[in-house]
Amino acid sequence: MVTAGGAVARTDTHTSTRVTGITVYAAASLTGVFPKIDSGPKYSFGASSTLAAQITQGAPADVFASANTTIPAQLFAKGLVQKPVVFTRNRLVLVVPTSNPAGIHSVYDLKKPGVKLVIAAPAVPVGSYTLQVLRQMGLTSVLANVVSRESDVRSVLSKVALGEADAGFVYSTDAKTVPGKVRVFKIPAWAQPKVTYGMAIVSSSTNKAAAQRFIKEVLSKAGQKKMLAAGFLPIPKAKRGR
Amino acid sequence: MRKALLALLYFLATAVALAFLTLPMLAIFVHVPPGRLIDQLSNPVVTDALIVSFKTTLIAQALVLLFGTPTAYLLASRRFPGRSLCITLVELPLVLPPAVAGIGLLAAFGRFGLLGSSLGSAGITLPFTQSAVTIAVAFVASPLYVRQAIAAFEAIDPNLVAASRTLGAGPARTFFRVVLPLARGGLLAGEALAFARGLGEFGATIMFAGSLQKVTQTLPLAIYAEFEVNFDVTLAISALLVLISAALLISLKLTSLWQPSEQTSRSRFAPLSSS
Repeated sequence: MVTAGGAVARTDTHTSTRVTGITVYAAASLTGVFPKIDSGPKYSFGASSTLAAQITQGAPADVFASANTTIPAQLFAKGLVQKPVVFTRNRLVLVVPTSNPAGIHSVYDLKKPGVKLVIAAPAVPVGSYTLQVLRQMGLTSVLANVVSRESDVRSVLSKVALGEADAGFVYSTDAKTVPGKVRVFKIPAWAQPKVTYGMAIVSSSTNKAAAQRFIKEVLSKAGQKKMLAAGFLPIPKAKRGR
Repeated sequence: MRKALLALLYFLATAVALAFLTLPMLAIFVHVPPGRLIDQLSNPVVTDALIVSFKTTLIAQALVLLFGTPTAYLLASRRFPGRSLCITLVELPLVLPPAVAGIGLLAAFGRFGLLGSSLGSAGITLPFTQSAVTIAVAFVASPLYVRQAIAAFEAIDPNLVAASRTLGAGPARTFFRVVLPLARGGLLAGEALAFARGLGEFGATIMFAGSLQKVTQTLPLAIYAEFEVNFDVTLAISALLVLISAALLISLKLTSLWQPSEQTSRSRFAPLSSS
């Protein structure tokens, strides 16, 4: 398996590797899985757009992992990160509270008047994916039912899990973190956006070697196994490496 | 020698404190040229947030004054069993982290909350509405006002109140013509703090009311939303809030200066008793 560094990685059968001394800024949807892959780094989870803004303002991150490839590409164009690499994929789903107060059974049901729909702000990756889905399905009128634009995907999930919102769009991996609190509805395959996660070493990092080791870990067989166990999708073979 | 050293330390400490407190505010204005600030004021995100902030804060403060003043007066003037408990309960939201306040409001007034379900059957849903913002603001701001009000009412000389009653004024007249004017300084100070706190409220609002432009997105929520989109707008809103807060503080100082003087010592011409 070829990794980001271009070298052949050892297939790690033991999982006790820990990279310490680095700070990883990662998308909120990676909150559960990244510490499982490596408990060593200091993690800061949040909306990819917020983290990118913080890095632009000089926040001390070593690795930046985003829920899309657009944001890392923007930062790369500004010279703030090194060349990004794809490390996983995900799926967008529609979630409703288990009690389903608004009786939603598909994305089309969101057109019902009075439905309290919560989505993420458009700058947040999951928010922009949501808008893509709605446009693909010709359902942009549904945006009139939006009652709140949250700052990250986990806030969308909490509002639905608490039963305050009638429906929300999150990643399938987020829905898995609150079993029993939400019901998940799939988005038709033809409308599903390409949700690809990109990761890069931050240019201002003072520990680039350790940052590179972390990226290698995530891309390794063991790392990818953990991602798949959490519900993420495998990287398409063509994209592996660069 | 020691005196000079001590004096130097005092001045040094003061200089550091002043610099630390003013630097962030000055830095905002250095980043935003006044021209750009005026430009951003026409940005719909800014104007919508301004309107939402002011509508909700004004209504919330009206509620705080309406309910807070009698509460403070009761707690200040009467002694009853459980008084200290009541005062602690009123002050509690003050030390509550705003996010916890938001969770509490959801637990109480949310769709499946304590009161929420009964409100729901009456057709009233609170989360995600502008009323939710008003409630969140009132919740975090009222302890600030009530605390100051209690202190202000406690500071009134009870002899003056007694004198007013002895001279024939009823309790209501005494309250409005004697107690309120005497307590005015403290009440205004409390209200200024409550107003500022309410205007800056973020955590409870975003939890309980969510964030939607024109409906629930207040100025602080707009700052948070625009931070990753357009840093210029963020700076402009921040500068606006600094100016509003400064104006608030200055007007408070001015009103405390403008007080009808209690002329008990200067001689005055008394009005003719009968004409």
